[in-house]
Amino acid sequence: MDTTQLLKGVLDLAVLAVVADEDGYGYDVVRRLRAAGIEEVGDASVYGTLRRLYSSGALTSYVVPSDEGPHRKYYGINAQGRAMLEAQRKDWQEFAGTMGRLLKTEVVR
Amino acid sequence: MSVLDTTDVLDVEGYAAAVRRSLADLGPELVEDLTDDLEADLTDALADERHVAHGRGLLEQFGPPEAYAAELRAAAGLAPAAAHGRRSRLFPDPVEDARRLGRWTLLRLRAQAWWAPVESFLVALRPVWWLVRGWVVYELVALMLGSDRSLWVPPNLAAFLVLAGSVVLSVQWGRGAWFTSRRVSWLATTANVVAVVAVLPLLGWLQDESAERDGIYAGWINGSLGGLDTETIYRETPVDGVVVDGMQVSNLFVYDAEGNPLTDVQVYDDRGRPVRTTYDDGFGQYWFPEGTEPWSFVSRTDADGRARWNVYPLHGAPTSQFTYDDGTQVLPAGTSASMPPWPFAKAPALDAPADVTLGAEADAPSPTSTP
Repeated sequence: MDTTQLLKGVLDLAVLAVVADEDGYGYDVVRRLRAAGIEEVGDASVYGTLRRLYSSGALTSYVVPSDEGPHRKYYGINAQGRAMLEAQRKDWQEFAGTMGRLLKTEVVR
Repeated sequence: MSVLDTTDVLDVEGYAAAVRRSLADLGPELVEDLTDDLEADLTDALADERHVAHGRGLLEQFGPPEAYAAELRAAAGLAPAAAHGRRSRLFPDPVEDARRLGRWTLLRLRAQAWWAPVESFLVALRPVWWLVRGWVVYELVALMLGSDRSLWVPPNLAAFLVLAGSVVLSVQWGRGAWFTSRRVSWLATTANVVAVVAVLPLLGWLQDESAERDGIYAGWINGSLGGLDTETIYRETPVDGVVVDGMQVSNLFVYDAEGNPLTDVQVYDDRGRPVRTTYDDGFGQYWFPEGTEPWSFVSRTDADGRARWNVYPLHGAPTSQFTYDDGTQVLPAGTSASMPPWPFAKAPALDAPADVTLGAEADAPSPTSTP
């Protein structure tokens, strides 16, 4: 099953969860999503999501100078982002539970 | 049809530029906001062994830049590219391109380890540029207002006030205190660009002018233009007349061997040219030692009716006695030119009587001459 369509609905949640874990810059967030098993998401989708969450006020942003590489724009979560994360986490868990029960019932039948 | 030129996307910079072009309809600020880390992210992804299709080309890993841009745009919650989005490609904005090139260059430089100390050094020097910028603008204003002399510093109070005002404007803008609104910031930006362009030509020109002045001054000090010990007379033609002890003389007085004054003596040089003391044809005014009013001289007339100015002593009269007639200065009828006062009635007599004539001397060469 192509999970790409599924991901679109929950990418905000995934990105918020990754950033809530630890501040990160663009590709760092992509890498951690991949490491968590979310392989199908495109890099650009993550960057766009980060930018959208930032402009909606859920994330903070700051630039970290680097001696070796280029300066990077880091994203971190703020109170509004945490509230959004909690709300969406709850929604997701309810939805996942509902789906799980539904699917289990189907199997049992 | 793809706007992409495949040669554009061979490297990260080309790919990022192509992505930005596809986003161009969003406006420069939004594009910058969306893609400011794009090169770094692409570079990281290329270097990441776990990235999909690692080791292959940019296009295979990330897909066409247009698709990448569309994904970025959609994920950011922005409207898809307008149908006329390509117009910005047909009429590229050179200012925006230059800015992008500048940002890109800075990004590349910041990727270098040696750049950070260099950048902080340059940032520390920024106030120097603010001062130079103010001074350049002042010099350009002075030039435009027709200052005929080029000076490094203001020659008078008004110019100094212009310089001070220009420096204050420049520094205040540099500090971000003034010209922050968009309506006037373009003016400051234009002035900055003009200053950048003009500073080197201006310095070169001022240096040339200064060197030229230094050269003239050095020449004057060295005496090649007359120096400090004699009066410097600038003329378009060589000085004419008779000069004694650095001073031009107006009249000659001739005494014979016994010291008696001679009158009506014609004087010629070694080439037969009349020796004249005056060239004003009677219009000049001359003061005698202890005289009470200036004199003007008249010429003698030779047998052919030509005026002769080399007959000494020149005769004349106080200038007030002359009248103008048909554009020339003449003595009125009934008045005749008189002899100016002699320096002394009698000169010292020579010790040997002048008993040898010129002709006899020419016929009998001196016996002491070498055979």
